[in-house]
Amino acid sequence: MSILNLKGILTPLTALKQMGKEPHTINFPDEQKNISKIYRGFHHNDLDLCIGCGNCETICMNDAIDMISLAEIAGEPGDSGLRPRIDYGRCCYCALCVDVCPSGSLNMTSEFMKVTPDPYDFLMTPGKDNPEAVDKLSFTADMDTSLNLFDRVPMRELDPEERVKSFAEVFLGYNEEEARIEANRCISCGLCTENCPVHMHIPEYINAIANADDEAAIKIIYDNNDLPEMCGKVCTRRCEDVCALQVRGEAVAIRWLKGYATTRAENAEMIAEIVKPEVREPNQYKVGIIGAGPAGLTAGYYLALKGYDITIYEAQKDPGGMIMYGIPKYRLPYDSIQKQVDYMKKMGVKIHFNTKVGKDISFNEIYDNSDAVFMGIGLQDAWSLGIQDEDAEGVWSAVEFLGKANAGETPDIGKRVVVVGGGDVSIDCSRVSKRFGADVFQSYRRRIQDMPADPEEIEGAEQEHIHIMPQTIPTRVIKDEKGHVKGMEYLKAEMVSEGGGRPRPVAIEGSETIIECDAIIAAIGQKANYELLPKEIADKLEMVKDKIKVNEDRLTSIPKLFAGGDAVKFGNSDAISAIADGYAATKAIDKMLMGK
Amino acid sequence: MDLIHNLKEVFEIDAKIKNDFQIEVEAKKELVSSILLYLKNQHGFIHLDHMSCVDWIEDEVFELVYIVWNPNTKKTVLLHTKIDRNKPEMENIDTIWDQANTYEREFREMYGIEFPGLVAEREFILEGWTEMPPMRRDFDTKKYAEETYATRPGRENAEDVREKIIKRTGEEIPDFAKKYSRD
Repeated sequence: MSILNLKGILTPLTALKQMGKEPHTINFPDEQKNISKIYRGFHHNDLDLCIGCGNCETICMNDAIDMISLAEIAGEPGDSGLRPRIDYGRCCYCALCVDVCPSGSLNMTSEFMKVTPDPYDFLMTPGKDNPEAVDKLSFTADMDTSLNLFDRVPMRELDPEERVKSFAEVFLGYNEEEARIEANRCISCGLCTENCPVHMHIPEYINAIANADDEAAIKIIYDNNDLPEMCGKVCTRRCEDVCALQVRGEAVAIRWLKGYATTRAENAEMIAEIVKPEVREPNQYKVGIIGAGPAGLTAGYYLALKGYDITIYEAQKDPGGMIMYGIPKYRLPYDSIQKQVDYMKKMGVKIHFNTKVGKDISFNEIYDNSDAVFMGIGLQDAWSLGIQDEDAEGVWSAVEFLGKANAGETPDIGKRVVVVGGGDVSIDCSRVSKRFGADVFQSYRRRIQDMPADPEEIEGAEQEHIHIMPQTIPTRVIKDEKGHVKGMEYLKAEMVSEGGGRPRPVAIEGSETIIECDAIIAAIGQKANYELLPKEIADKLEMVKDKIKVNEDRLTSIPKLFAGGDAVKFGNSDAISAIADGYAATKAIDKMLMGK
Repeated sequence: MDLIHNLKEVFEIDAKIKNDFQIEVEAKKELVSSILLYLKNQHGFIHLDHMSCVDWIEDEVFELVYIVWNPNTKKTVLLHTKIDRNKPEMENIDTIWDQANTYEREFREMYGIEFPGLVAEREFILEGWTEMPPMRRDFDTKKYAEETYATRPGRENAEDVREKIIKRTGEEIPDFAKKYSRD
């Protein structure tokens, strides 16, 4: 070693170049360290935004997260009411829980220190135990880094110019690849099941589809829905309204996935082969069912499986009720309903068509010869517009018009049609009229965004060049000398908000406008017709307004008489509610007769 | 760009520009050490920034990513390669960069990838580990955590989301459907 080891002398001096630089150490605790902007410290949960789906709990590989009830959160459809609690003795701060949070409520903060002598303090409910941490969010559940798939697989459909030429089905349905991808978006939380009137096992059948087990999916679907292919095409899909993914993205296409699975079974034989339902030994009880709509068919099918002798009486020549005669064939083809009913017949459901109760057979005959009776008679009569000259020739009710169209006839509606209404039925009338070659105008009292119709249907109508006239109130039918419609007078309306309710349309004085037309179709709702009931029954049958009063079991005020479907339902009546009624009545009838 | 052109010329591989600072390359495993040496010696990528591994269980491969950096140009190259998951073996590169030794040791322990010639203790972070390498996707981490660690008292009031909804709706899930319920 040389005495002149310059390197040894000079090297320590190189440390001098650090002088004047910012130190890396800090004067703790007076100073806080500048930590990463995306630091993963303790969690914070926005308790109002959180929907309690439990996806955080499911993903946690350390089993650090529990879902617990909090006194201040009740839960409602779309919110389980549970909130995550984290065991920080197990949490490894990987942030997967944040990455999979569909609502974006669960985030991580820059807080990372906690000193306590009590080990139980490390069980923390984010958001509840650290509300102040909302100001220190760092690693957040951003949509662009989220592991959730927020965009649904688009549904292929016929081109608008093409589809108005015929009654061919508009939506083409998912193919296998599309269905698998879409099904894989589901996080299986089950929040959707609460909003489904019949509480179908949605996460289970979607998971089966995701696992390429379509037959299992079909079997699960038929467990409590006997018309699932219909629901897979036209259901009002309230389940999708509360899907965890719709909080920030697009709901899982639950309806289309059900449609995908059920159409895999191409005929009644295949359905029977796959579903292989458990069928009880025949018992001695007979159940009479009035009406072969969704409510009646459902009660019939599930009672038949339980061994009851089932006879359905139907006034029309085909089954389905409103789904056969009310829903246009471009949404729900004839064969699709027929296939499902054929399957039910195979399971022992007997249907007497062209048999109008009250005319071809008396109500009492059915009632006296049955151990229980279920009435699913629907709403057959239309509400009238209540305006001058509405009895003119060329003024149609929606029921009458769609009934003719669905029976394969061509209603004489001329070249220009005005449809009045804003629900799904009104859109059906408009789009059917278009398919008969008419130029269609749709009059609705409120704004387009207020229309109760399915937004997809409204969009479809707009694509087909149906002229929607929002904020218009019909006032008078104008007829020619022969008594035939030649126009409709209406007033324009302005929307007035009063007392916090939804804005109300108020006619603008002097805004009378006349639209020329060859036909007017009134689609403003239907009411029931109880003429089938003998007087002594009708007098005893308790009603709520014009609907039959039923209890939870769908039992009316008359012994052993059950009812369901549109004739008992308030609010948005739909097929799935009717199915739920039929299903609930099945259980109640079984309990009443067999004690099961 | 010269680099992209040269990689094509020398190794017949297509590199693509990911952004202003990152270039992405995919190559067969046999070429990896040559490419890394070439990048280091010819193009100034003197720093091994990171090595990582992804388990593509469905495709039965592990993907290894070597990230190297050129301090002069501030550019990064991400070199990807795929190896057979059923016989996971990769060339040792700690002769090019010493620090690769640590990464490789970790891959060996966490994914079970062998690096013939790697001189290092077999045991690294895990102690007395006898199960499947735990970073493999078929390792059931949750099950392991449940079996290995005690549950802290006070967690007994945990509820299940699906059960909670079922209580409110009265839904009856048939047994044949339960295998498709969320765990």
